[in-house]
Amino acid sequence: MAMTSARPAALPARDADPALALNRADRSALLRFMLLMRATEERALTLYRQGKVPGSYYDGRGQEATCVGAAFALGAEDRACILHRDMGAHLVRGVPPGRILAQMMGREGGITRGRDGNMHFGDRKLGCVGMVSMLPDMALVACGMALAFQMRREPRVAMTWFGDGSTANGQWHEAMNVAGVRKLPVVFVLENNQFAYSTPNDLEFAVDPVERAATYGFPGVKVDGNDVEAVFEAAAEACERARVGGGPTLIECETMRMHGHGAHDDMRYVPAEMLEEWSKRDPIEAYTAKLRADGIDVEAIEKSVAEVLERETEWALAQPMPDPATTTDDVFADADPELGDGQAPWSRWSPARETV
Amino acid sequence: MPQMGVSVAEGTIVEWHKRVGDWAERDEVIVEISTDKVETEVPSPESGRVTEILVEVGTTVDVGTVLARLDTSASPGEPHVEEKLTVDSSQLTETPPVTPVVRRMAAEHNIDLSQVRGTGRRGRVTKKDVLAFMKQWGEREPQPEPVLHIESPYEDEELSTVNRQPSTGQPLSPMRRSIAEHMVRSLQTAAHCTTVVEADVSAVEAARGRLSYLPFVARAAIAALREFPQLNATLENDRLYVHDEVNLGVAVALGDDGLIVPVVKNAHELSHEGLASRIADLAERARSKRLSPDETKGGTFTITNPGRYGALLATPIINQPQVAILDLEAVVKRPVVVGDAIAIRPMTYLCMSWDHRALDGVLAARFLSSVRHHLEGWNG
Amino acid sequence: MAEMTYLQAISDGLREEMRADDSVFCLGEDIGAFGGAFKVTDGFAEEFGADRVWDTPLAENAIIGTAVGAAVEGMRPVCEMQFADFISCGFDQLVNVAAKMHYRQGLAVPMVVRLPSGGGFSGGPFHSQNPEAWFLQAPGLKVVAPSTPEDAKGLIAAAIRDPNPVCFMEHKHLYRRAKGEVPDGRYQTDLGRVRVAREGTDLSVIAYGAMVPVALEATEDVDGASVEVIDLRSLVPLDRDGILESVRKTSKVVVLHEATRSCGVGAEVAALIAEEAFEDLDGPVVRVTAPDVPIPFSPPLERAVLPQVDDVKEACRELVSY
Repeated sequence: MAMTSARPAALPARDADPALALNRADRSALLRFMLLMRATEERALTLYRQGKVPGSYYDGRGQEATCVGAAFALGAEDRACILHRDMGAHLVRGVPPGRILAQMMGREGGITRGRDGNMHFGDRKLGCVGMVSMLPDMALVACGMALAFQMRREPRVAMTWFGDGSTANGQWHEAMNVAGVRKLPVVFVLENNQFAYSTPNDLEFAVDPVERAATYGFPGVKVDGNDVEAVFEAAAEACERARVGGGPTLIECETMRMHGHGAHDDMRYVPAEMLEEWSKRDPIEAYTAKLRADGIDVEAIEKSVAEVLERETEWALAQPMPDPATTTDDVFADADPELGDGQAPWSRWSPARETV
Repeated sequence: MPQMGVSVAEGTIVEWHKRVGDWAERDEVIVEISTDKVETEVPSPESGRVTEILVEVGTTVDVGTVLARLDTSASPGEPHVEEKLTVDSSQLTETPPVTPVVRRMAAEHNIDLSQVRGTGRRGRVTKKDVLAFMKQWGEREPQPEPVLHIESPYEDEELSTVNRQPSTGQPLSPMRRSIAEHMVRSLQTAAHCTTVVEADVSAVEAARGRLSYLPFVARAAIAALREFPQLNATLENDRLYVHDEVNLGVAVALGDDGLIVPVVKNAHELSHEGLASRIADLAERARSKRLSPDETKGGTFTITNPGRYGALLATPIINQPQVAILDLEAVVKRPVVVGDAIAIRPMTYLCMSWDHRALDGVLAARFLSSVRHHLEGWNG
Repeated sequence: MAEMTYLQAISDGLREEMRADDSVFCLGEDIGAFGGAFKVTDGFAEEFGADRVWDTPLAENAIIGTAVGAAVEGMRPVCEMQFADFISCGFDQLVNVAAKMHYRQGLAVPMVVRLPSGGGFSGGPFHSQNPEAWFLQAPGLKVVAPSTPEDAKGLIAAAIRDPNPVCFMEHKHLYRRAKGEVPDGRYQTDLGRVRVAREGTDLSVIAYGAMVPVALEATEDVDGASVEVIDLRSLVPLDRDGILESVRKTSKVVVLHEATRSCGVGAEVAALIAEEAFEDLDGPVVRVTAPDVPIPFSPPLERAVLPQVDDVKEACRELVSY
């Protein structure tokens, strides 16, 4: 098994753009969301092993920074197509962990009420459009939402995530092309977690995908996907570009999938030393250390997250299974779509916020 | 007429084995003659189709007289007018299918499909045929039995188009012969009397819905047989067997073929609805020739209901070895006296023929009275 | 009222809706400057601007996928597949994203996919298909197939106003050959209702699209029988009651479509009749369809495959005499 391509050189220094600044509350929030994602996923894995989660179980352990950091840049009116290893993005938009657990358990309180499973959901009331299994179909849907913003001359952004494997697919190229041709206000977040199921990068593509952005007519940047603030900065910059009509951006986040493709995958194809190396770069450990050094009470955040998880798990386990009599309901809509606005915890959108 | 001996000058026709239109093989027996009281079978001189028969049975003619003519240029397989007629009139071994809509309409409107002329492929009765039939005869359902005024609704042309008698006479079919034999024997065996009682069937009318009168009369008759079991009996070799169970025979018309009497075993255990469905099933299977021999045996009492052709009264012939048979004819609305007023009621005559060897008129009358009583007091 | 062709009626309906609602826009290949391969959107770019009449790249999944995204954000996109056959290049977005969205996420997707379908002009295997039956197997999609100009205008408008993804089967053969009176202004034709093209009592021919005029011509005189012709015009939802009502009346049915035989819409209609109107049938339910073969190019071969007037007449004659 080949190692990944060489780690990128340090990113060029940039002057911090005041518009993109993060205050203490923001940074606490970033840690909190990452911790919430990890805790929820660990709890979900336990429930899965206890037989309470039907079907398969997928998580994004080790990728918390990629989804939290990017989603944090979004405004309330922006839209997101979130993928299966990006639970943090749902949390940032305001989905309570309990509803995610209920969703995984196929219960009535889950976002799809049992109609779809695991991470195939998007709370439309919070401006999220749920994914499908075929990847990266959602990239085109995000382009469509961006198209609507463009046609209506709205300073809004559509953000979507996809993995390294998706970049081999025709629909990825159609999405990149359409985005570039129309200069759509879309942000493509490519989570290169080194493997598409068991397929490593060098079997997936001949060229680092970030370089393809230029050939589609827009910038591509590569960041350390385990550095939540680096991801945030890249995403915030991309959103700004989109808002002012500058078109799309491809952000390749280099990260590592620390668990298997799914809980059923023993990861035998991952070299032990690779896992060893990436475990030293755990995004949460790194950021916890950083914030502690800055004098933020990380223990309080950890404690609060643990409490929330207890409450939310209890709530999820109390949810009933869906009624089979409703199985054939709602195939068709009676009314026009209602895609609501999500939460936007970044202080730029909500200056008075006190998180934690 | 052949010369059957030197001194024979004439001969008499005893029986023709072929009719006009039949095929005769050479040397096949074509006619039986009698000369000097000796009966001889005459073989056909050639193969051919009989085109004329010139001398009737029983006629004596001189030797040398032409008796019949054969067309030797014909071929055996050719259809000819009368053959075709025979073939068409329910001698088909394969019954054309009854489509779902036709079956449903027949059930809903109580139509006997064997009475309906089929114009579809293979003689199939089509929906159109049923509609035409209904238009002609009026709907049975949900209206009551046809109201008789003066003229009878009976029309004979519709049913007998396929039954033109050839002028030379037609031998009885095996079934007809069997019926004939049974009827004659019955008349010769039993001392036939017929008693008639009149019944007001308005209560049945109110209750019957889609059913015909027959199951109600059957049920009433069974109730009366419980009271007067001597009528639920068979008389054989001077021994009278009074039966506990009522095995009710119901006569079923088979069109030109005649009739057959399938038996509803243990009819005393059935309600009128049960009787209706059993009778319908037996009738359908009788018409499609799917009865088992068992199903026509063991009857203890018979009801016959010839149909809606307008007859008021009949004197049925007892179904041996039973001692009685009940005939149900038309139901007709008539003015009758109720209390001291005149009312219009649907009335019918219950006609029972019974064997005077086994019982007397009083019993017959009382039995019929009981049947009437059950019908007039019908409350489901 | 005005007399116009089927094609003009579709344009008219689309134009009316775009004038009435800014959120309605068109996307597809060559629909802008060129006015569309069949000129349905001729003049649209001039009237509504390039923004609302988007000449897309050659990418069917992109057309349909972006339409989904725009639709969930409250726009009303009308996609054009240049030929219905090309839906296979955008099939994934149609059946996996568009169709299943509301059931799974409760999120409506008000979009239309226009599909110029059908053969009869030597288009060959890739430009002649009638793929509507595929969509019946993707719950969540609605499918309409008008046969008259009046219905074409009314149904395109209804499809646009419907909050669900609607596949609009516009038959190429009818574009210029079907002419008729069309009401002025905006109107919608309800989905899920048949049109009785001709009333009759002895036999029903149930058809849609380009086969409706074929059915009418073929059954003008079938041995004097009175033949009813039903124009389905809406395949999903299907007007079950309308179909069964006709069957109860005539008791004999010929189901007719240009699409190939196996598991076509005709199979669905025949099964429905067998299940729900068994006791009303006075003969077998007969289908007249193209055989299971890719539509060939050469005229005698194509004619042998697509149901012709004589084929329909013969089937009706057989059934009438059953």
